[in-house]
Amino acid sequence: MTKEERIKKRYNAEKRFKLYGITSVVLAILFVVFLIHVIFSKGSSAFQKTTINVELNFTLDSLYLDPNPSKDDLENVEYYDLAIESLLKVYQVNGLKEEKALINLFSPDYEYEVRDFLIKNPEFINKKTILKLTASDDIDQLHKGNYPRHLPEDRRRINDFQLMMYDKLVEQNKIDKIFNNYLFQKGDSRNPELAGIGGALVGSFFTIIITLLLSFPIAIFASIYLEEFAPKNRVTDFIEININNLAAVPSIVFGLLGLGILLSTFDLPRSTPLVAGITLALMTLPRIIIPCRASLKAVPPSIREGALAVGASKVQSVMHHVVPLAIPGTLSGTIIGLAQALGETAPLILIGMVAFVVDIPSIPTDPSASLPVQVYLWSEQAERGFVEKTSATIMILLSFLITLNFIAVYLRQKFERKW
Amino acid sequence: MISNNIKIKTQDLNVYYGEKQALFNVNLDIHSKEVTALIGPSGCGKSTFIRCINRMNDVIDICKIDGSIKIDDKEIIDNNVDVVRLRESIGMVFQKPNPFPKSIYDNISYGPSIHGLADNKSDMDKIVENSLKKAALWEEVKDRLDEPGTGLSGGQQQRLCIARAISVNPEVILMDEPCSALDPIATAKIEELIDELKKSYTIVIVTHSMSQAVRVSQRTGFFHLGKIIEVDTTEKIFKNPGNQMTQDYITGRFG
Amino acid sequence: MSEISHIVKSYEEELQNLNDNLIKMGSLVEKQLSDSMEAIIKVDKEAADNIIKNDAKINELRAIIEEQIVTVLVKRAPMAIDLRLTISTLKISSDLERIGDLAKSVAKKIKPLPHDLPEELIASLRRLGDLVQRQLKDILDAYLKKSKDLAIKIWKTDEKVDDLTHTAMNEVADFLGKDKKNLDLATHLLFVTKNIERAGDHITNIAESLFYLIEGEHIEGARPKGKDFDSNS
Repeated sequence: MTKEERIKKRYNAEKRFKLYGITSVVLAILFVVFLIHVIFSKGSSAFQKTTINVELNFTLDSLYLDPNPSKDDLENVEYYDLAIESLLKVYQVNGLKEEKALINLFSPDYEYEVRDFLIKNPEFINKKTILKLTASDDIDQLHKGNYPRHLPEDRRRINDFQLMMYDKLVEQNKIDKIFNNYLFQKGDSRNPELAGIGGALVGSFFTIIITLLLSFPIAIFASIYLEEFAPKNRVTDFIEININNLAAVPSIVFGLLGLGILLSTFDLPRSTPLVAGITLALMTLPRIIIPCRASLKAVPPSIREGALAVGASKVQSVMHHVVPLAIPGTLSGTIIGLAQALGETAPLILIGMVAFVVDIPSIPTDPSASLPVQVYLWSEQAERGFVEKTSATIMILLSFLITLNFIAVYLRQKFERKW
Repeated sequence: MISNNIKIKTQDLNVYYGEKQALFNVNLDIHSKEVTALIGPSGCGKSTFIRCINRMNDVIDICKIDGSIKIDDKEIIDNNVDVVRLRESIGMVFQKPNPFPKSIYDNISYGPSIHGLADNKSDMDKIVENSLKKAALWEEVKDRLDEPGTGLSGGQQQRLCIARAISVNPEVILMDEPCSALDPIATAKIEELIDELKKSYTIVIVTHSMSQAVRVSQRTGFFHLGKIIEVDTTEKIFKNPGNQMTQDYITGRFG
Repeated sequence: MSEISHIVKSYEEELQNLNDNLIKMGSLVEKQLSDSMEAIIKVDKEAADNIIKNDAKINELRAIIEEQIVTVLVKRAPMAIDLRLTISTLKISSDLERIGDLAKSVAKKIKPLPHDLPEELIASLRRLGDLVQRQLKDILDAYLKKSKDLAIKIWKTDEKVDDLTHTAMNEVADFLGKDKKNLDLATHLLFVTKNIERAGDHITNIAESLFYLIEGEHIEGARPKGKDFDSNS
């Protein structure tokens, strides 16, 4: 082979290599775009809900109220009659069967929606108003265009009469799409139109806070001690190897640990952010310690020597000089560790976070859901309404993770650029 | 020029890194208020030696020292010696300039503040100013004391480190190849500074540059394989060394 | 001196080259001196012309050596033995050049001399010339071998040179005393004698430089002095 040929071959190999690289990057981007497209196209509609305008007349008679009712009175009276009466006025129906069909256009919570409105706006007593009541899951999907209305009647849950009513109501402009406040306010529900991720959000928040409070200080002190103070001997080598191993242990093992020790031995309450937080803290610890140690190690020894040489003690040299320089790396490591914990599902399933929890937790020992588990739960549901909810939850979870990662990148770049 | 006050006296100093012995029975006197240069091939133990003087080797777990180093007749190779106090009186300047990634002012004020040498801000300002003046850096940085020390040029950084060492009023300044990362002009400035500083401080400098040893020092010690081969006045060492090995080393014949 | 050679080979070569040139210069000077001694004894005016002409070669070599030394100083910043070698070589080359000059001025004095020099006048001069030639040869040997002992021996022998000079001068003075008409001739011979003695002094200088080169110290004690012609009169 002549020299020219060899050089040409070399250049060709280089070009080929670049081509492989570009191909992989393009493929990766395509996958991500596809994933995001699927999630967004399925999930974005969940941020809206379908409502039906109902005219309500809050007369004292219809509510069995005395004049000038107190707030307690408003909370305790029966709204069912008023609600049903008003619903039935939306469309002219005859007979129980048709009435039932009409009522089924609404979500089962119509009574509470009426009540909540009045408690919030007591000035409407003795006044008429038009309220946008949440439509049922099927109407919601129908209105969003996801319902197969061309199917024969016996194969759909919405019958022909209901379809007719829906079309009429649309003609009368009585059906609207508004922002879905339930998505963020409500806990889980059997009815997709009433299900929200409020409980999961609060549960995830409590979990992450507990994880942070537990793992961050422990990880920081452990890594500072191991990196700066611990003698290098077999014991510390052993610890180091084990930390690296722990970081690689599948998360479900930590779930089993939580189940076996926290729930069985210490008898902590099941399905609570407290247990989830502790379990995830255990899982996250090595994942924070490793980047913390790496960023401590990255601080040049000359800084330590400089401090020691002017007579700083070991602790002073570490606390005044090394740790401040390692903070950006430490923080971004912690945030990435927390982001992983936030997305973790398997250990939470084991410690019972899969329970069906309607109430939004107010303290970390209340049973609760969490975002990734909510995704898991809803993805198993048959109702169409849950499909878009699942995607919406994934969108929210992803946006949290991306935000956390951006913060980590930002911290790292900002502090590293400064000096 | 040659003083006869012995500031640092080492006797039978042996240093081990784990199994490996780094210094063998080093006996060396360092005279007060003059510059002692230590020369020798890489790995000959000269850096190890000066790191014994301020007990910097304590940082290394596997380092074991035995023998005696007396500073002003006080033994320092002793577990009862407070290394923090020791290092306050023995400053050190390193091979690579290592200013703290803080402002110029904070670089100087750090030492005095941890030792409580200043009662108030104006005291501290004085210390900072004096230290920078002694390090011949004041004129260049007086208008930008709050700028990061790492933004200075290499030579200025090294003088900042010298100022930092001076700030805690040491008696001895150890310099571990202070000019090896600097250009000739910056080197000349540091050498001029060393000449100035030897009036007030005892200086020990490790250097790979023979000509630098000749220029700045009054005494020179030649280390080889962890042993001190020859110590004498610099003039003697470089004009007519007593030991063949020293001669072979400084004339560039080392086998 | 040192059995180990420099790590930088070209440095070693430069020093070797310097050494070679000095030896070459030394042998040229040696030849000039012996030629001039022979010429004066034979009163060979043709040889004298050659000697005068050849001095230029010595000066040329001296310039080359000086240049080489400056180069070594700039390039190598020599230390210790190397430093002493270059400095001493510089001094030795200067002394050799002076000896060459002296040989030349001896040759110049031959022209006015009559062909029939009285034997008694030349006897001491010849012995003096032989001794100085011997000294020069020895000192070049000593330089080649870097022999300290030889250098000291040569240094001490200068006393003998001085004594012989003294004797030779006395003889010329006696000759002058016999007949004032001999003044011209006597003056020339006195100059020649003095020149040879000064060549001897330069050889002593070389011995001192050589001693410093080898030992790094100066020879102890005052320079050996014979009876001086001037102080004796």
